[in-house]
Amino acid sequence: MPRIVKTICFGLLAIGAACDRSDTFAEPSLDTELRQDVARWGVVPIGPVPAQDPALVELGRALMFDPVLSGNRDVACATCHHPATHAGDGLSLAIGTGGSGLGPGRTLGPGRQFVPRNAPSLLNDGLGLFYLFWDGRLSNFLVGPPPPPAGAGVPPGGSGLLAAQAMLPVVNRREMRGEPGDRDVFGAPNELAQFADSDSTAIRQAVLQRLLAIPEYVAKFAAAFPGTSASQLRFEHAATALAAFQAQAFTKTNSPFDRYLSHDEAALTTQQKRGGRLFFGKAQCSTCHNGPLLGANGFANAGVPQLGPGSPDTPPLDRGRADLPEQQFYEFAFRVAPLRNVELTAPYMHDGAFPTLEAVVRHYNDVPLALQTYDPSQLGPALRATYHGDPATIDSVIRTLDFRLRTPLHLTDAEMGDLVAFLKSLTDPSARDLSALVPAAVPSGLPVPR
Amino acid sequence: MTVPGLVALRGNVRALALSALFLTSAQPLPAQLISIKTVPIAQGDQFDIFPSQHQGMGAVSIALADTLLDPFRNPARGALLDAPRFFGSPTFYGVSNQTGGGRTLPLAAFSQHGAWYGGLSLALQEVEPSRVATSSVAPPPVPFAEPRPGVLPLNPGPASQPPQTHGNAYVFALLGKTLAGPRLSLAASFSWARLNAVDGVDLLYPGSLGIDQFGHAVDVRLGLLKQWPGDRSLDAVVLHNRFGMSQDVTYADLFWDPGTQRVLQRARLDRELDRTDTWGLHLQYERPLVSGWRIGWIATGNLMSHPKIPNYEIMSIPRDPGHSHAYQVGIGVARTNGPATFGLDAVYEPIWSETYAAAAAPTETAAGDTIPLGGKTIENRFRFSNALFRMGVGRELTFGGRPHAAAWQLGLAAHAIHYRLLQQDHIQNGSRGQENWWVEWTPTWGLTLRFPELELRYSGRVTTGTGRPGVQNGIIALADPAAVRAGGLLVAPNGPLTLQGVSVVTHQVSLSLPLR
Repeated sequence: MPRIVKTICFGLLAIGAACDRSDTFAEPSLDTELRQDVARWGVVPIGPVPAQDPALVELGRALMFDPVLSGNRDVACATCHHPATHAGDGLSLAIGTGGSGLGPGRTLGPGRQFVPRNAPSLLNDGLGLFYLFWDGRLSNFLVGPPPPPAGAGVPPGGSGLLAAQAMLPVVNRREMRGEPGDRDVFGAPNELAQFADSDSTAIRQAVLQRLLAIPEYVAKFAAAFPGTSASQLRFEHAATALAAFQAQAFTKTNSPFDRYLSHDEAALTTQQKRGGRLFFGKAQCSTCHNGPLLGANGFANAGVPQLGPGSPDTPPLDRGRADLPEQQFYEFAFRVAPLRNVELTAPYMHDGAFPTLEAVVRHYNDVPLALQTYDPSQLGPALRATYHGDPATIDSVIRTLDFRLRTPLHLTDAEMGDLVAFLKSLTDPSARDLSALVPAAVPSGLPVPR
Repeated sequence: MTVPGLVALRGNVRALALSALFLTSAQPLPAQLISIKTVPIAQGDQFDIFPSQHQGMGAVSIALADTLLDPFRNPARGALLDAPRFFGSPTFYGVSNQTGGGRTLPLAAFSQHGAWYGGLSLALQEVEPSRVATSSVAPPPVPFAEPRPGVLPLNPGPASQPPQTHGNAYVFALLGKTLAGPRLSLAASFSWARLNAVDGVDLLYPGSLGIDQFGHAVDVRLGLLKQWPGDRSLDAVVLHNRFGMSQDVTYADLFWDPGTQRVLQRARLDRELDRTDTWGLHLQYERPLVSGWRIGWIATGNLMSHPKIPNYEIMSIPRDPGHSHAYQVGIGVARTNGPATFGLDAVYEPIWSETYAAAAAPTETAAGDTIPLGGKTIENRFRFSNALFRMGVGRELTFGGRPHAAAWQLGLAAHAIHYRLLQQDHIQNGSRGQENWWVEWTPTWGLTLRFPELELRYSGRVTTGTGRPGVQNGIIALADPAAVRAGGLLVAPNGPLTLQGVSVVTHQVSLSLPLR
């Protein structure tokens, strides 16, 4: 019997040894890896946006579409942030007062210049972005938004920064205020243009006086700010109402990707999931576009071609955040845009240099090469001549290029297609048609931009 | 020893990639219920609670009768109990690295009255948690592009539930009759288990705050034992087993709150259902050979349907129904030579299993077709070719001039699992194959003391070659959510799985004494 036992033991051991060898393994699934990526980069679902006061929203809606806020009474906030163009204007560089038309067809007025930067879409600006404007001049960090006016019913949520943002375009000559000597659409002198640039308080108060001269606005302000008399009102109240409207109307976070984040694994197609893996992996997009908002939390010199009139301080170039005090480090760096609904907000980058997502992805595939070989024919005719493609400018941009973009990604065409598919999964279907937001009329009786 | 099918990592930690995990072994009364495993997950010996004469001999069973355990397998075997008896078999098992354990106290009594015989067993069980408590969900690393002066702290979220022991209860009843003329015994048994804890399931939701399990298992058997002169016998068992568990899993989900501009946590409760129904048929024939040798054959078939498969945290597919059919064919030999006993079982175990994922909505395929709602998007076809070997020796000892006063047993069992998986992706119109195998080793030992009034048995075993997922230094490896599930059914982790090799040690002390 012992011999039998020994034989059997050896037999079992031999079987075990035969099985004890390496194996072939399947790749982890797209979902498993994508969810790991999402967690690794701090991407989380967006919670509900706090409800806004309906009276405040109604006032903000009227203000948003009313050209009375502009010196020449010819542009409204919605002219550059119109629902038809998904809270942007569809232009590479914005066209402010004096222009004509709307959306991509808008043209410069005689003697006018482009606004130096692209008008960013307002979609999801109410989510509590860390920085607003392409150079991040408004931030919840360090500087912080201006304090709300005393007695103002500051809308809940992250609208404080939005309200602060709403106070700036009305004092900007090229965007809304106009130049000295301008006459408004009725031929009357533009009184707002007469103030010195440094007297922003007086400018805003003058805008408010325009509003309070209209009985319907008086009623709307009274409804939105009960207990605040007309004499106590300041432009900050109007800005607060604009922020409330924008936060309510332009918050769109029910994209397939958002549903995927909320554990609906069928929300994304396989191609979109592959693109997501690239976004968080090989393509390195998430090194900048991370966090809950997929961006809006930092700045980068992405090697974007320089075009347009440039910033007032360093024309014809736009040095981006470096033009802000004590921010020289950020040479040619601009805010990393939040990416939800990015499909709808073309053209892209701070100066709208790229008309499509495909063009953006090709640019990032090899930034130095793309910058040197940029084809300005993809710009609108009026902008092509403003492209600064001289070697010195290109060298300046490349010299301070973000270190993450200095090496080509070597993405294939198929991979770039997947990446674009993923970016399109960030679109909330309800953001595709915002036309219902446009009012039939505004209290001033001026034409509603449409 | 490395665990086959695993890629060795540092130390004793291994990583595994899988497309599908399938475990069906964790069920009460496992005899004649064939387990299905696709990863070498350590499953505690939670359900091996009844006494056995040959547990110390590697649990050989085909050619050796086991009057203690056999009535639980085939109720008709209760007819072979020679006298009314009481059994108690306190059983303790533990998984190394403090990753689980449990205690069970089964009590049983069998009696005969004329041609009728019956038995009743009750058992209480306490199962320890398989993982340590996590105080809260850690914030995910957010590698922002630059230092952010305003990085906001996470709000305290829902508190995690401290792991707790949970209790299970088992009831077993048997009733049979012997027809003396044809030496035929017929019996039926019914067992019911109220389950609040299946060992290791909490490891399958590594990112959760807590898991609340509840459910039941029901097993109904009809048994037949036919004996012929010359000590030949035939067993036949028809069984139906229903296993149903619910797992209420609490997660703390992070979300961005636009109102406070912070990342906050909110609780989410997912109820996962785990259902398997099994029909089984078991045949066993044994007869003596020459010179004290015996030989036996078994043939077992299980048809399993899986109406609902839990959506484990690690799983993306398949979460939808599937079915399996599993078989065992085996041969066993045994020899009793004076005081010594030897036994050997060899079993071949082919299994076919299909699971699939159903489309939650009409889904466009790469070829441009559309898979309708409920259509199959992914199909997994497993083909197992397993082998099970058990062998053991035992010897009676004489003490104080009393023969058979004591006995020792030694044994070894090896379960070699090998499978091929063909996975078809109907969305991408692609397919791929996967192959995996490993061996689980179980040395056993036992000691028996017999007194005129009672019989006291001790048996022990240790199973190696398996692991527990995601456990490193006593901390669940949350960084790798692709873990596993154990205990009950199907999983499709399809992610890198981190396993740490563990051993499962079980001790059982059984007491048997005549009631009169």
